[in-house]
Amino acid sequence: MNNLALKELLYKMADDQLILGHRNSEWTGFGPLLEEDIAFSSMAQDKVGQSLALYTLLQTLGESDPDTIAFTRNASRFHNCILVELPNQEYDFSLIRHFLFDTAEALRFEALTNSAYEPLAQLARKIRGELRYHTLHANTWMKQLGSATEESITRLQKSLEAAFPYALGIFETSPYEAELIDQKIFAGEAALKEKWLARIESVIHQTQLQLPDWKTLTPVYGGREGKHSEHLQPLLDEMSEVFRIDPTAEW
Amino acid sequence: MYGGGNTFEGIKTDSLSQEDPVKLAAFEARIARGEKIEPTDWMPQLYRKQLIRMIEQHAHSEIIGALPEGTWITRAPGFKRKMALMAKVQDEVGHAQLLYSAAETLGKSREQMIDDLINGKSKYSNVFNYPTFTWADCCFISWLVDAGAIVNQLANAKGSYGPYCRALERICAEESFHLKYGHHCVIYLASGTAKQRQMFQEALNRWWPPMMHFFGPSDKISAHTEVLMRWKVKMGTNDEMRNQFLDMYVPKIWELGFTIPDPNLKKNTETGKWEYTEPDWEEFKRVINGNGPCNKERLEVRRVAEARGRWVREALKSPKAAYVTPLA
Amino acid sequence: MNSLDPRVSRLPQIQEPVSLKAPLDQFGTFEVFVQPKEGKPFQHEGIVHAPDIELAWVLAKETFTRRFTCTSLYVADTRDVYVSPLTEGESNAYDPIPETRESGIKKTYEIYHLAKRGRQHVHAGTVQAATPQHAMTEAKLQFNTGKTVYNVWAIANDAIRFTTPEEKELWLTLSEKKFRDASDYKGGDKLKEFLERKLIS
Ligand SMILES: [Fe+2]
Ligand SMILES: [Fe+2]
Ligand SMILES: [Fe+2]
Repeated sequence: MNNLALKELLYKMADDQLILGHRNSEWTGFGPLLEEDIAFSSMAQDKVGQSLALYTLLQTLGESDPDTIAFTRNASRFHNCILVELPNQEYDFSLIRHFLFDTAEALRFEALTNSAYEPLAQLARKIRGELRYHTLHANTWMKQLGSATEESITRLQKSLEAAFPYALGIFETSPYEAELIDQKIFAGEAALKEKWLARIESVIHQTQLQLPDWKTLTPVYGGREGKHSEHLQPLLDEMSEVFRIDPTAEW
Repeated sequence: MYGGGNTFEGIKTDSLSQEDPVKLAAFEARIARGEKIEPTDWMPQLYRKQLIRMIEQHAHSEIIGALPEGTWITRAPGFKRKMALMAKVQDEVGHAQLLYSAAETLGKSREQMIDDLINGKSKYSNVFNYPTFTWADCCFISWLVDAGAIVNQLANAKGSYGPYCRALERICAEESFHLKYGHHCVIYLASGTAKQRQMFQEALNRWWPPMMHFFGPSDKISAHTEVLMRWKVKMGTNDEMRNQFLDMYVPKIWELGFTIPDPNLKKNTETGKWEYTEPDWEEFKRVINGNGPCNKERLEVRRVAEARGRWVREALKSPKAAYVTPLA
Repeated sequence: MNSLDPRVSRLPQIQEPVSLKAPLDQFGTFEVFVQPKEGKPFQHEGIVHAPDIELAWVLAKETFTRRFTCTSLYVADTRDVYVSPLTEGESNAYDPIPETRESGIKKTYEIYHLAKRGRQHVHAGTVQAATPQHAMTEAKLQFNTGKTVYNVWAIANDAIRFTTPEEKELWLTLSEKKFRDASDYKGGDKLKEFLERKLIS
């Protein structure tokens, strides 16, 4: 098994989960409805927990411990897609991002339940219930707000269009794509993207929203190779503010 | 999360003379037998009013209480703390949800309560009007403010109103995580580097006076509450609660080698009661009345959150989902 | 807003006044019922505010089953819960319920009992009935053991959003979320080691 290819896959997945979990946790206490505040926080916790599980796999492959990996790297060493690091903005954007990303995430893990890398397959099988909830939650809100008032439809449409090029960036290919597919570790970004488009489309069709003409859009790539927007480094500085007071201390 | 002070203003019992004496006697007898009051039962207006006020203030204290700790939610050091703090602050929001629901069974809608909070018409625990400057302040709250809240909540869980007791039962079960987590954090600071110890000592210095205020003014100067005690609305005096807290937690703070900033604090071995420098009740009143260091920010954050969420709520409002009073 | 909380500092400025809305223009309430373990009865846990029953179910899941254990959950609009009068002391809520016979198409009702004031309503069983009143009668015939029940609820099955069999997997990892559990924060060893160190120095 090619460790570099596997590590690259695990890093980008773990970083995605961590950064989006972190972003979503910013909503805690500020949500549009108490119950939704709670639900959004749970899903943020799930994401951070999933990132921890993935970093723990990386540790078994010889990388540092999860805290060191997560709290001491600089932005250029993070492999998350740019979508997840963007600021939350209003709830419409956070919801659209949640819908676009979590649909991809659920499909990715679904594909990984058959991964030749057994520890990852096990993890994917274990968390399928969490992911089912995330997509159920996202789809329910999308269907409701996407067909409610002029304001809610306009807001979601605007955010959908703003987020879409970044969402396409989720599927930025890795240099190891062929190896991962060959070795049956992961079915590859192209296959994932195709399933994702179909799934997204089927939900959008149940609303009054229009799917952006994705073929004419330029995907925002770069995140997978450490080239990020101006938003990631400040996020990381904030996240590690206490940890960096003394990285050798136990907190 | 919640503190005394909720019954700070005196209550007028005049309205009691207008209540049906037969119903009133049956109501009081039921409470005396240890039976709970449920939403559809007859109850005196004063009971309803005081309960709404108390449960509502408790709920506000939870939702506002999510803010000072929330200040550190994006900065918690390491995975263990990050996940715990996310879950802990989430629980506090959940407590607000449970408590608003309990108050709603008495006939006041959640939205009305939230409006009253934002408009400064109703109060919440003064302790959340203080800032959390460092991670150690956040640990102080998780451990000791929650500990204080638990003293209150365990007592109130034995009160007379069914829906409030049920909410508190669930809340208390969740609080045991908060308390353990908070103590765990402080043990790590105490046994850590000199810098970490210093961080917590400084937090303790800042938070001790608000912590003493937390249980409300001393019995000597508090309003009379006999009828509320008889009705099992208020379950103990402010000083009793404060004493219980000191009894349980001062030894634990000292055990960790920290200094509590009150040279007069000691337990009187004869009376079994703690003695301390009288807290500054003028300061307490100032903060309760809106002039603490963070009152404005706390309410502004709630106001902005409500305003930002309004389009979501308005989009989905429909006659099908019209408001009714919940059942239990 | 200039705040110690970086999240608050990032909040947008919003000028609109707060109290422009009509009173009571909030969502309806839905009653939430949870089964803590396989084989155990469902019990009432509380309410959620939601615009409709589907979202109520989604929101109830995290509001009421993110801690402890859960195997299933359902919700019903508060207005769809048919309620008997509440009794006290020795008097049984079933006593005043008339024994009406009714014909017509029957459907399934879930029946709940309040066994003690201050407790939650607990699932007693299901009955087939034509109307909610009839469901009460059927419940009286089937579940009234003579032991005092203080309150009876009947909810028609078709007014309930149940958990589907596939959705049971939603709670798969619940027991592993130890970070929300007091047992994950044992500081005893650390404390002992610290106290010993303190003793030496
Ligand atoms: Fe709380
Ligand atoms: Fe608290
Ligand atoms: Fe708490």
